[in-house]
Amino acid sequence: MSSAPSLAAAIDPRTKMPQERAELHQIDESTRVLALIFLGTSAVWLLVGTIFALIASWKLHNPEFLSTQEWLTFGRVRTAHLNTVIYGWATNAGIGVSFWLMARLSRTLLRHAGILYVSGAAWNLAVIVGTFGILRGDGQPVEWLEFPRYVTPLLFVSYALIGVWGIITFRFRRGEHTYVSQWYLLAALFWFPWLYSIAQIMLVFAPTVGVIQALTNWWFAHNVLGLWFTPIGIAASYYFIPKVLGKPIHSYHLSVVGFWALAFFYNWAGVHHLIGGPIPVWVQSAGIVASLMMVIPVIVTAINHHLTVIGSFQQVWNSPTLRFIVFGAMNYTLASLLGSAMALRSVNSVTHFTHFTVGHAHHGMYSFFTMVMFGSIYYMLPRLLRKEWPSAFLINVHFWGTAAGITLYVVALSIGGWIQGMQMNDVKNYPDFLQIMVATKPWLFARTIAGLMIAVGHIAFVVSFVWILIKKRTVEETSPTLFNTPPTLSLKTS
Amino acid sequence: MSAPSTPSHPAGKASTHQLEQAAASDASITAIHQTLLREKPEPTEGFSPIPIFLLFVFSALIFVGGVYIAHYAGDFEPMAFDPSRGKQVASAEPAKPVDPMVLGGRLFNQNCAACHQVTGQGVPGSFPPLAGSEWVMGSEERLVRILLHGLSGPIEVEGKTYNGAMPAFGPKSGYRFNEQKIAAVLTYVRNSWGNTAPAVTPEKVKEIMAAVGDRPGPWTAAELDPFK
Amino acid sequence: MNNGPLLFLGIFFTIAFSWSGIVLTNLVQQTEAGATQPLFDKDTEKVVPAPMTGDAKQGQQVYAELGCVYCHSQQVRNSLSRDGGTSVDVERNYGRRPNVARDYIQDGRIFLGTMRTGPDLRNVGQRLPSVDWHMQHLYNPQITSKDSIMPPFPFLFEEREIVGEPSPKALRLTGDWAPPPGYEVVPTARAEALVAYLLSLRTDYDLPEAPKSVE
Repeated sequence: MSSAPSLAAAIDPRTKMPQERAELHQIDESTRVLALIFLGTSAVWLLVGTIFALIASWKLHNPEFLSTQEWLTFGRVRTAHLNTVIYGWATNAGIGVSFWLMARLSRTLLRHAGILYVSGAAWNLAVIVGTFGILRGDGQPVEWLEFPRYVTPLLFVSYALIGVWGIITFRFRRGEHTYVSQWYLLAALFWFPWLYSIAQIMLVFAPTVGVIQALTNWWFAHNVLGLWFTPIGIAASYYFIPKVLGKPIHSYHLSVVGFWALAFFYNWAGVHHLIGGPIPVWVQSAGIVASLMMVIPVIVTAINHHLTVIGSFQQVWNSPTLRFIVFGAMNYTLASLLGSAMALRSVNSVTHFTHFTVGHAHHGMYSFFTMVMFGSIYYMLPRLLRKEWPSAFLINVHFWGTAAGITLYVVALSIGGWIQGMQMNDVKNYPDFLQIMVATKPWLFARTIAGLMIAVGHIAFVVSFVWILIKKRTVEETSPTLFNTPPTLSLKTS
Repeated sequence: MSAPSTPSHPAGKASTHQLEQAAASDASITAIHQTLLREKPEPTEGFSPIPIFLLFVFSALIFVGGVYIAHYAGDFEPMAFDPSRGKQVASAEPAKPVDPMVLGGRLFNQNCAACHQVTGQGVPGSFPPLAGSEWVMGSEERLVRILLHGLSGPIEVEGKTYNGAMPAFGPKSGYRFNEQKIAAVLTYVRNSWGNTAPAVTPEKVKEIMAAVGDRPGPWTAAELDPFK
Repeated sequence: MNNGPLLFLGIFFTIAFSWSGIVLTNLVQQTEAGATQPLFDKDTEKVVPAPMTGDAKQGQQVYAELGCVYCHSQQVRNSLSRDGGTSVDVERNYGRRPNVARDYIQDGRIFLGTMRTGPDLRNVGQRLPSVDWHMQHLYNPQITSKDSIMPPFPFLFEEREIVGEPSPKALRLTGDWAPPPGYEVVPTARAEALVAYLLSLRTDYDLPEAPKSVE
């Protein structure tokens, strides 16, 4: 640090707000170890989840592949994939990003982070044991809650600590104004333990009767997406888009409408997984209407995000953070509007029970949430580690691998799933189910290709991640790693 | 907050919890320079008003949602499972005579093809073929009886012996095929995959049903010999 | 929106509202309407839906362990139209009538499912009553359903040397599927339980709240 700029330069009134920066630095420091633990483990789980995904995808067009081992049968590998990416990758990344954002926005240090290291370790231990349990066949046969019952108390306790800590951090916030991202983070941290504990009790420990199980199951499973991952993704977009562009978010009023409409309607939307099922028709219709009403928060959030971005597209293209996050925000709009359409009875009669739904789930979970998490990590790590990303090329491979891969994935399964649904509804011309199943094979093969592209992106990401962790800190680095460095952005602090 | 005017206050001590003093640390300012100073300020919100037309769109959506609930909620009854509340629609048009080959093909693909295969070739060793089978092309008396009450035990088809259990399809079975369906599916198997044999009529099926009456279990191949 | 407690109350209210609406209301409504109790059918003198047998219960556990639910639904869909009419699932022969809530009260764990990579199984016991067929199909789906993408489950079977008389349960395999001479493939207890469960899946009774079964 010998060639550091002088103190005088730092407190020069022409340099922007050194006071605020000093605070931010302190806050980043207080979250550093915690954020690195969660983000680091999330990257490992991302790779593990990708391997399970590729095995499962390959099995769907080559059923004999690895079929002699019971613990690698499709029903288990697919489940291991879902649980590792949801509870290993997405939740860990979400927690890492949330804490960093919450502390920064509340302008307060993360206190007593030590206890969170323990809960982070416990969470990851539970995910490891749970994944082995699923492969062994101990899993609970409840979608999205498959971890065996012997790890769920551990998951719950470690998560509850995390949630409470987030809320405490919010409680000690300083400053007059709570920013929109904070509302979403607070809500997410509160909602998730409620969802999880109620679902555990009503489905695993004291299962309720008959179809009430299905209602509880989809109330939980859809809300994990809608009330846990989505708020974190939106909070991150609301933070990073204006932050990197240096512009205010378009409209506070729209933010308010968007938040409450999401909180109110998303809660009810899960029932659309049971349309036509053996549940009272009024609750199906309530779910359909709630899904339709999701258009309101989605449009509002879209206006807020996209009108902030408009006119700054060059910057979006150059900044890794923004390129990932704006890709995610655009897909949030698209996936949500498609989701509302899929809840309509006329569309649902085709898409329900088909690969279309699988494509849609990945559209929301990957094109939106995961891409936003990638963008956030590209912003956070240089600040947490005080090092720059080692290679723009790797970031480029990561972006194109995942962006092109997931787009192919969603398009292939949407087309294949739609054809499948049309054929299933056409009993006269397709009386034989086998014929319909065989017709989905090319689309399932395209899905494997898409998965391989995504895997290449993930490898580039993890290599970058490890590289920035281990590389030496140098003082020369004063400019960020961008895709292209326009003259206006080559900032020197001198 | 006090101005950051006291340099070289050691960072990392208890006082680091006080942000005011943290700003004064020379070492931390160095760090701030490298990564934080290029940051733009923390995000803020503008206060653009909500476009009026959006409010109209949203009101319209909520209205549509309300109307939808009113029409599709089955009066909020716990036992209403579909929006029509179980209304059975009587076909307005008089029933057209169905082509037995079309009806039979559909029934075959849905109910028989899993074992006998869409190609009628069966599965070697387990499920006998129908294509070219002397049982299929032979007397309809045997065939209708097998369909009505099922068949179990060894059976020789095209020179090979099979030992399985064919379920009953008659009106009293789980499948509840009536005489029209039995006639159609038999006509289909007797005239597909190169088979050629006369069609089976619903009247003939009815006649055999009356002749057999109630029967507790499936036939054996030997019992059917007299009807060759 | 700077008022923390108010924000918190709103967040709490929204989730409490959806849970009580979707889960609690239905639980209370179904219980009060008697839809969580079986009925006694006077004509056949049977309780419908019938309780599961022990074999079927064990088989259901195997069904759960192997993750069958991820590709097979267990629900004959109701008509989605306001004008009534037959549901396409009934037309496809997934069952003779759509399923209603009471059909599931004896199941313990329920497996409605949301995917039909493979066909619906709610009435597979009615549609495919042959034990032989199921055994061969589980051993390797290619035997009975060529080009199927269902995985084989060889670990539910045992290939063993024939000692004395061949087992009556041995699979009748020919051609490429046949075991080496002197060997036979027999189902394990788990395979037998799973098939017992599959054969028990049949909605062969009528309920007052459900549409009439089609002929």
